[in-house]
This record gives sequence, C-alpha cells and structure tokens, in this order.
Amino acid sequence: MKRLLGILAWVAVAALGALGLGTIALHRGEGLSATWFVLAAACSYLVAYRLYSAFIAAKLLALDNTRATPAERRDDGRDFVPTNKWVLFGHHFAAIAGPGPLVGPTLAAQFGYLPGTLWLIAGAAFAGCVQDFVILFCSIRRDGKTLGEMAKDEVSKRGGTIAGLAVLAIMIILLGVVALVIVNALKSSPWATFTLSMTIPIALLLGVYLRFLRPGRVIEASVIGVALVMFAVVAGQWVADSPAWAAKFTLGGVTLAFALIAYGFAASALPVWLLLAPRDYLSAFIKAGAIFSLAAGILLVRPHVLMPPLTRFVDGSGPVFAGKIFPFCFITIACGAISGFHSLISSGTTPKMIQREGQARFIGYGAMLLESFVGVMAMVAACAMTPGVYFAINSPATIVGATPEAAAATISSWGYPLTAETMTGLAHAVGEQTLLNRAGGAPSLAVGMAQIFSSTIGGERLLSIWYHFAIMFEALFILTVLDAGTRVGRFMVQELLGRVWKPIGRMNWYPAIVLSSGLIVALWGYFLYQGVVDPLGGINSLWPLFGISNQLLAAVALVVATTILLKMGKLRWIWVTLVPMVWLVVITMTASYQKIFSTNPRMGFLSNANTLAAQIAAGKIPAAKIGEMQRVIFNLRLDAVVTAVLAVMFLVLLVEAVVQWHAILGRGREAKLHETPYVATAWVEGD
Amino acid sequence: MAEKMENRKWKIGLFRKLWQGLREWSGDAAYETYARCAARQRGVRVLSREEFYVEQLQKKYSRVSRCC
Repeated sequence: MKRLLGILAWVAVAALGALGLGTIALHRGEGLSATWFVLAAACSYLVAYRLYSAFIAAKLLALDNTRATPAERRDDGRDFVPTNKWVLFGHHFAAIAGPGPLVGPTLAAQFGYLPGTLWLIAGAAFAGCVQDFVILFCSIRRDGKTLGEMAKDEVSKRGGTIAGLAVLAIMIILLGVVALVIVNALKSSPWATFTLSMTIPIALLLGVYLRFLRPGRVIEASVIGVALVMFAVVAGQWVADSPAWAAKFTLGGVTLAFALIAYGFAASALPVWLLLAPRDYLSAFIKAGAIFSLAAGILLVRPHVLMPPLTRFVDGSGPVFAGKIFPFCFITIACGAISGFHSLISSGTTPKMIQREGQARFIGYGAMLLESFVGVMAMVAACAMTPGVYFAINSPATIVGATPEAAAATISSWGYPLTAETMTGLAHAVGEQTLLNRAGGAPSLAVGMAQIFSSTIGGERLLSIWYHFAIMFEALFILTVLDAGTRVGRFMVQELLGRVWKPIGRMNWYPAIVLSSGLIVALWGYFLYQGVVDPLGGINSLWPLFGISNQLLAAVALVVATTILLKMGKLRWIWVTLVPMVWLVVITMTASYQKIFSTNPRMGFLSNANTLAAQIAAGKIPAAKIGEMQRVIFNLRLDAVVTAVLAVMFLVLLVEAVVQWHAILGRGREAKLHETPYVATAWVEGD
Repeated sequence: MAEKMENRKWKIGLFRKLWQGLREWSGDAAYETYARCAARQRGVRVLSREEFYVEQLQKKYSRVSRCC
C-alpha cells in the first residue's frame, strides 16, 4: 500500500511537471506567470533526481557505501576532511555557482524564454548533472585526482597535457569575458563604481582582522563586512548625487578595464589572506543571500514573463549576439545546463571531503540541479521586463543607436514597442544616467531583480537601491572569479614556465610571482581590452568564445568519464555519458566552424575582419579611425585562431580516446583501471 | 509542561545543528576540526590557529576553487 502511494505521488509530480512544461511551451499571447516556470523546473528536477540519478548510481556507477572514501582513509583535518553531506552540498554548490548561470540565460533570452528554459532543464538533467556526478565518482575512486591527472592516467599522457592546456586557455578567455561583464555594468555609473570600489578597502580591513586580530573567525568578520558593503550600496547614492564625487567615479570602459587589470594583478601577487580570501568570504555570504532572496521574490511576486516564447531572432539576426538558435542557444547557456568548469570542482576539493560514495549522487547530481534552478530564475528575471527594454539594455549602440530616441525607434521597428521616455524614466528610477547599450547581461538582470525585490519590499522608492544591490552582488562575485582565477592561472603559468627555467616554478620567489601574475593578467586583459573597444560591444564575440571553450572542457570531462566507464565494463550503459558527449561535440564544432568561417560578418570572425579590411581599402573608414580598425581586424583574426586551436586540441584528445576505446572493446575484457584499491569502511552505517 | 520542555529542547538542538552547519560551511570551524584530528596523530606538531588559517588559504587558492 505504502509503495503504491509512493508511486502515485511520483506520478503526480511527473504529471505536474509535464503540465508546467506543456504550458510554457504552448502558451501564446499575454504574459505567463513565473509560477509555471518554477513548477516545470522543480517537478522535472525531482523526477530526474528520483529516477535518472538513482539509475546512474545503481546501474552505471554501482556506488558502494561499504568502500572507504579518501576522506575516511586519509583524514588529516587539512586536505582530507570527512564532512557532513549537507555542509558539503553547500560547499560544492557555492563553488560551482558563479556568474555563468545568471549571465548566460539573460543573454539567451534574446531567442525568447522557451529554448533557454528547456535547455536549462533538460541539459542539466541529462548532461550537466551527469558530468558532475560521474566525474565526482571517478575522482573519489582515485583519491581526489584532478581531471587532468585522470585524463593522463586513463586516456593518455598527451590527453592529460591537452586537458591541462585547455583549462589554462579557457581560464584566460573566461576571465576576459567576466571582466567585460563588470566593465559594461559599471561604465558611466558612479553609484555602482563607488560601491564596488569600496569592497576593496572593506576586504583589506577584513583580511587584517582575520589574519591578526581574530584568525579564522570567518562568520564574525563576514557579518562586519556584509554590513559595511550594504552601507557602501546606500552611500553610493550620495556619491552619485554629488557632482564633484560623481565626476570622480564616472569612468569609461577603457579606464575601468585597466583598473580591473591592475586589481587582478594585485590580487594575484599580494598575500592571499590580504585581499582575495576576505573578498571570497564576503562574496559567498552575499551570493547565498541574493540567490535565496531572488527565489523567494519570484515565489512571492510571481511576476509575469513578458518576453514571447520565441522571438524573431531565432534566425540568427539577434542584436545581443549573432547566431542561430542552433547551436548558439546551447553555447550561450553553458553554466546552468552543463559547464566544463564544474568538472574541475568535482575533481578538486569535494571528493576529498565526502564521507560515503553514496553521497556523490546528492552532492554531484543534486547541486547541479540547484544551479540549473538559479539559471531558470535568471531567465524569469530577464524575461519579466518588457522585450523592448531588454533589447535596449543589451544591444550595442552600433545596432540600436546611442540615444533613447534612436534605440526606441529601432527596437519598435522590430515589433517590440518601446518609447524613449520609458528608457529615460527607467534609468532615472534606478539611479543611472542611462541603461542603453549595456551588453553583458548584468544590468538587465539587475533591473529584473530590482523590479522583483521592490515589488516585495519598498516599492518604486527602493528600486534604485535594489538595482545597485543587484549590480554589487553580480560584480562582487564576478570579481571573486576574477581574482581567484588569476591566482590559479598564475600557478599554472609558473608550473608551465618552470619546466623551461626552474626558478620561475618556485611559488614563493617574488620575481617569479610578479612575472607570472603580469603574464596572466596581460593575457586575459588583452581579451578584455578587445571586448571594450569592439564596435559590436565585445559580448557578441567573446561570450560565444567562452561558451565554446567551456563546453569543450565539458566534452573533455565526458570523454574521460566514458573511457573510465568502458574500462569498468559498463558498455551497456555507456550512452549515459556518450550521448551528452556527442551532443557537445556537435554543438561546439558547429559553433566553432560558424564563428570562424561564417560569411555573415556579425558572426564569422574572418568575414568580419575581411569586411573591415575592405572598408579600409575602399577609403570608407576615416583616417583617424584606421589604426583602431586595424587593431579590431587583428583581434578578430586572433579570435579565429584561438577558436581553431581549442577545437583542434579537443579533436586530438577525442582521437586518442577513440583509439583507447577501440583497444578496450577489441580486448573483450576489462582494461586496467587506475582506481585506488578497495578498503572497507570502518564507519558503521549512520556515521 | 514536559511537552513544552521537549519542544524547546528540540528547537535548541535544531538551532545548534544549523549554527554548526553554517560554521562548517563558512570555514569558521575548520581549525577545531583540524585540531581534533591533529590531536589523534602522534609526533605531529599542531599548527596554531593563525598558521593553520594561512596554510589553508594558500592551499585553497592555488587550485580551481570557484567556477564561472
């Protein structure tokens, strides 16, 4: 009887999910309540977790709770620390949830709400969660080895080197792109620039507090820090209202780019306790608070999604970024559906802290479902504003014009009514001079979040405070990715250069630190700078490049996972990782090809470069602009080369893996696995 | 009355668990966990709270610890 009731309950959940998905897919006309999105996503996740993850745990991975995990066998209280599964879930989620699931869906909203939402839900259930879960399992069985080490052991030595290089390349592109998102959010905004600037002295203060006054007392320091940051958000309004101070904090894109480059260098070269760590603590608390507040706000306010299910831009002519729905919707939304970067976290700290193998399902699969839910909420927040406003904020001036009147006329002609007064009124209401041409996703998400928050607390009066709180929240945790990523990139550069000249590899030698920090910030700073000066707004070129590289890393992770599963003799269930891997290969290779060779200048790097070169040759570019255009041409060709190199690197790894698979299947017996030997757990059930 | 006391105890227990979870999640309780573990190992010098804090940070930020 109990079993029958259980089955009936799950059938009801599945039916509700199907109803939600059907409604958001088939709805036409007036705005659709966000409740349907929450219902569709939550029920789909529950069913996926209950059925698919259980199937993977039992049939594919055969998780074994009698087997001691690395945290039990090597418990040292430092690296290997058995951790409560709920605490570890929080750790893992905080590590995987970055700006990606917020920015990607916001940008992909240009296709309408439907494709992105479906990809977020299905992509997470069948690809992203599978990747995180399987890689976590593989790493647990190998004492917490990294993805690169597993690629080296299980695929080939060259595979390991390629995975390592891919991680470094992706990191450089990622840092350039996320920095560009901050620049576009802060430019010409004294309030936002002041607030974010203030987080630096606040972090320094906390750094000294945590190092010398109260070592390691993270909660009390974070409480002080969060209070000071909130005060800085409010004080930003006074700065914006003061002509003298506002002038000091009103910065252009190039100035902000150099400020960020200098910040990245400082965070990498200074002692980690002084700036990087305290900022990360601040960011973690504010991130958790803002995400839960957004979820609560959406549930309370239940805003109506005003964006149509599909826009006219599915044909590839979108103003935010060029490219058809296939493959660019799946490239633009990387984190939130599947992100290769997660495989680095799943093969990093988490496997060294897990108490039992069985918990890998809850932590690996479950945390990614939650991240996907964050992506769905970002989609709702972005689509809750009128489409005209969304396109005005996210389109570059070269497409919609630089004035409210021009933008309103262009966007209205696309069939999305917008008046100049709407944009000036909205900018005024959120305390900004303008909201036009702020590609990158952060400002439009902040407007969406501010509208939801202000509907719950404060009304119109607090709209500007909520907007700047949302900008601060996004920028703060993008900066955390930026500084932590720069530091890790510095270590990678030191390790690589150390093979050529040993002293560079010494992590505590200050000239090596300065040189490698300078090199890594120069590399990502270059991408940032080219994005800032790009006439198409930068995001058009760089976000797809980031999406391609991130999805390629996910394909690398799934290649490694498939190889390990084949070695384990799991041929019957190999489609679990093989199908998402093939899907990623198809979308990344198609996108790479189109980004390099498309004859549409807005999409293809080479055709864009050739068009600009032809304009210079025909004398259509003013003499004063020729130098700038030549730099843009060089950047476009460089982007084409970077895309091609990443694709070739992946294809080499894939060929290595296919050769390995052929050998495994040809032998007809289990191949050599590099797992640590079985040790029975000494913990009784329930420990 | 007894039921009220039981209820109160349950609430305090829950609050303690939540507080401990928050401390572990944030890293606030990391030193206590380490000190407990180090006390079990013979011949190992136990790091001071400050030494442990700096060592942990250096380890954490030398590998990928935050995703995009």
